[in-house]
Amino acid sequence: MANIDSEKLSQLPCEMLSFNILKAPAEIGPRLGKFALPNRRVISTPHYVGISSRGVVPHLSPDMLKKRTNIDAVYFGLEDFTERLPIRTPPLYNVPTSEAYASKLKSFTVLPDDRISILGPRRIPAVETPKSNTKNGVSIHTSVGFAELNVRDYVTAMQILSPDIIIGLADVPQGDKPSSKRADKMDDRTCVWTRDMIVAEAEREVPADTPRPQIFAPILPTPIELQMFYMDHLVEDDMLKHISGLAIYNASNTPDLPYQLLHLPRLAMTEPSSPRKLLYDISLGTDLFTIPFTTAASDAGIALSFSFPATSPSPSSSTPLPLGIDMWSPTHATSLTPLSENCTCHTCTSHHRAYVQHLLSAKEMLGWVLLQIHNHAVLDRFFSGVRASIANGTFDEDRLAFEKLYEDELPAKTGLGPRVRGYQYRSERAGESKRNPSAFRMLDDGGEKLEEAQVEEGAVPSPGVDERELEEKGFAKPV
Amino acid sequence: MASKAMPSALKFDLIAKCSVTKARASTLHLPHGPVSLPIFMPVATQASLKGLTPEQLEETSCRLCLNNTYHLGLKPGQATLDAIGGAHKLQSWPHNILTDSGGFQMVSLLRLAKVTEEGVRFLSPHDGTPMLLTPEHSISLQNSIGSDIIMQLDDVIATTSPDLARMEEAMKRSVRWLDRCIEAHKYPERQNLFCIIQGGLNLDLRRECCKEMVARDTPGIAIGGLSGGEEKYAYCRVVDTCTDLLPEKKPRYVMGVGYPEDLVVSVALGADMFDCVWPTRTARFGNAITSTGTLNLRNSAYADDFGPVEEGCGCICCRPVAEGGLGITRAYVYHVAAKETAGAHLLTMHNVYYQLNLMRQIRTAVVEDRYPDFVKEFFAQLYPSKDKFPGWAVTAMKGVGVDLLE
Repeated sequence: MANIDSEKLSQLPCEMLSFNILKAPAEIGPRLGKFALPNRRVISTPHYVGISSRGVVPHLSPDMLKKRTNIDAVYFGLEDFTERLPIRTPPLYNVPTSEAYASKLKSFTVLPDDRISILGPRRIPAVETPKSNTKNGVSIHTSVGFAELNVRDYVTAMQILSPDIIIGLADVPQGDKPSSKRADKMDDRTCVWTRDMIVAEAEREVPADTPRPQIFAPILPTPIELQMFYMDHLVEDDMLKHISGLAIYNASNTPDLPYQLLHLPRLAMTEPSSPRKLLYDISLGTDLFTIPFTTAASDAGIALSFSFPATSPSPSSSTPLPLGIDMWSPTHATSLTPLSENCTCHTCTSHHRAYVQHLLSAKEMLGWVLLQIHNHAVLDRFFSGVRASIANGTFDEDRLAFEKLYEDELPAKTGLGPRVRGYQYRSERAGESKRNPSAFRMLDDGGEKLEEAQVEEGAVPSPGVDERELEEKGFAKPV
Repeated sequence: MASKAMPSALKFDLIAKCSVTKARASTLHLPHGPVSLPIFMPVATQASLKGLTPEQLEETSCRLCLNNTYHLGLKPGQATLDAIGGAHKLQSWPHNILTDSGGFQMVSLLRLAKVTEEGVRFLSPHDGTPMLLTPEHSISLQNSIGSDIIMQLDDVIATTSPDLARMEEAMKRSVRWLDRCIEAHKYPERQNLFCIIQGGLNLDLRRECCKEMVARDTPGIAIGGLSGGEEKYAYCRVVDTCTDLLPEKKPRYVMGVGYPEDLVVSVALGADMFDCVWPTRTARFGNAITSTGTLNLRNSAYADDFGPVEEGCGCICCRPVAEGGLGITRAYVYHVAAKETAGAHLLTMHNVYYQLNLMRQIRTAVVEDRYPDFVKEFFAQLYPSKDKFPGWAVTAMKGVGVDLLE
C-alpha cells in the first residue's frame, strides 16, 4: 500500500523545513498544507503522526511499520530512553552512525530513512508524576521510576540524537486549571527553556549542509493572554527565525495566535479522544496530530470503522453508527469478511474477522498487530478524506454530517487488553486490583476440583455420558 | 490391525545419504507444497506464531509449521473450524501445517489426566468440566483442522517413569489406538496420518512398537514420548534403535526436539523432522540463539552493544539496512525486550530463522557428503574447547562413526 515514489521525497536543500499552506481561510478554519523536510516523505496536512512506545509503534515490529503501514512520521518520548540519566549515559547516545551528524534516534530505533522523527520530552499519553515541574525542568516517568528532565539534558538529547523535529520543553502542569500565579510561572519557564534550546542550537557549530533538528515551540494550554511574555519574545526576530513549527497544547488557542506565527505548521499535543474532537481541532486549523486513540482502540480489540466524508448507507437512519467494531465479540467467530469492506490494508486483504476474533480470544499477540495495521489505515483514509473535503470547500457540512452519522465516542472495551507495563501506567492507590485478571491458576487448585468431581457420582465422564454436553466444550467428546 | 488400506498424500524423495553417519537429505512433497528435509518446524500453537504475521513467518523461509490440536479444539473449537473451512483458511497460511493429536498436552498441561482404553479423561483447564478425548475425536478434530500431516492419539507417559508394566501397556495401547485412528481418518488422500512409536526408554519395547507400527504402513513415522526430561544418552539410544528399524523411504519425525545440538546429533542418528517451542518461547524471554550459544539480551552487558544479534546472520533483523534488513542491534533488543511485544517479535523472527538456516546447512552438508565435518565444526563453534563437548553427543556420534574429540 505504501507506494511512495521518489517524487514524493522532498528534494529541498538541507537545513530547511518547508511548510506551504495551500489553502487557508481568511479568518479561522481548516487549512491544507504540504510539510516537507529534506530526504523525507512529504506530508500533506492535515495528517497524523504515529506515536511510539520505547521506540516502536506498539505491536508493530519495524519491518511491519515499513512494509504494512503508511506512517510518515513517528513521535518519540525522550523519557522512554533516559532511565539511567544522570548516572549513566543513555545507550542510544552512543549509537555509531555512518555519518557524523546522522540521527542517532533514527539509527537506534531503525526508523526508515524517509520517515520523519519527532522527539518530545514525554510519552503520549504521559503518566502523571507525583512531583511538579521545577524551574530547571519537567517531571518525567521512566521505566525505573520518576525523575526530572532538566533543560540542559534536553538540549543535549536534541543535539546528540538529531531528531528531524524537536518539541520545545513546555511547563505544562498536570491536573486542574492552573492558578494565575502558576500560569505566570508557566509563561516564564517555557519562554526561558525555549530560548535556551534555540540559543544552544544556534551556537552549535556544525559543517554546512548538516541537517539540524527543527524546533517546534510549544504553545501552552492556558489562554494566549496568560502567555504574553513568552509570545512577545517568540515573535521577536532572533527567536522567530529559529522556530519551524508550533506544538499546540490547546487547539482553542489557535485563533488568538500572534499573526507572526500563522505561517508555521501546528502539531497538536491535544490528545483528542475521538474523531469528533479531532475534527474540532482540524476546524481550527491544526495541521498535524498525535492521536492516542488509535493504539488505545487496537489494545481494546476495536477495529475502527469510520470514514470521512461519512458515506451513509441510509441517511434517514436515526441511530448513530459506531466508530469501531468490537472484535472480541463472538459474532465474528466464523465471519470471513474483512474488518471493513473495501479496506485495502494488509489485515483486510490477507485476513478476516474470524481470525482476529480468534487471536484476541486466544490472547495471541498477532491480534493486536493486525488491528494496529488496520486502525492506522483507517486514519490514513480519514485524513485523506478530510483533505479532499477542505479542498472542495465542504469541510463544515461534511463535519456536521459525520457528527450526525456516528456516535460521539469510540465503543467501550469488552475484552482484555495486552499486558500493561510499569512505564505505561501508574497505580493510583494502594490495594488496587489487577488491570487484567491472572491467566493461570495453580495446578493444585485443579487437584481439589478433581477430588470434588470424583466424590460426586459420575462427575468424571464414563463412555455413556451425555455427548452433547461434552461436545459443546469443543475439544473432546465420547464417540 | 486395520483392514483399510492406507493411501498417502505425500511423496518422499530420498536425495542423499551420509556415507558415514545415518544422516539423510530428502524432499517431502506435501499437499501444500514440497519441503526439504531434515526440517525444523516452528510451533504456531494457536494458529499464530507468537506475534508474527503469516507473511513474516513465510519470510523466515518456513513452509511447514505446527498447530496444536488441543488448543485449536478449545479455541476456536471444531464447529468454528468446520464453518471457516480449516486452519489454513483461519490463519491465511498457504503452506503446510502439521498438527499433533492433543495427547501430549494431556501429559504436559494436565497432571490430572487419566487414561483408559476408551481415551484420555481430564478436566477442562478452563472451567474444570470433565472431558474425554478419544482417538476418534482427535482424528475428527484434525480432519476439521485440515492439516497436511496429522498425528495419531497415543498414550504418552513420562519416559522417566520406572513402571515398566505401565510403559508396556501404554506402548500396546498406542498401537491399538493407531488402528482406531486409521479407521476414523476421513481424508487419507489429502491428510497424512503419522504413527507414533512409544515404549519409553526401554529398547525392547521400542523395537516391538516399531515392528507393529511399521506394519500399519502409515505415510510417515514419529518417535514420541521423548524430550520429557530423560537423560540425553538414553534419548540418543532410543532414536538410534528406532531409526535402524524404520523403512528408508518414509520420513521420520522426532517429536518435541529443538536445541541446535540435539538437531545436529539426531540427524546423524537418522531422523528427518523436528519441532519444539523452545526457540520461540526463549525469544519472548529475550534470548537469541546464535552459533556460539544462546545470548540473554536482557542482560545489561548488551545495553551498549551495537553489533547485530549475530554477525553474518541472514535474518531480517540482523541483516544490515544496505542488504534489505533492519539492522537491529543488540542494544535495541535490550531496550525493547520484555517491554514492548515488538521486541519479542524481532527475536522470534531471528530464532526461527536460525533454526531453519541450521537445517539448511545440515542438508547441504549431507548432500555434499561432509556431514561428519559439519558436526565437528558445529560443536567447535558452540563450545570453547573439546573437553566442554557434552558427553552424550560424543557418545552418540561415536556410535555412528564420528569421533568428535579426534
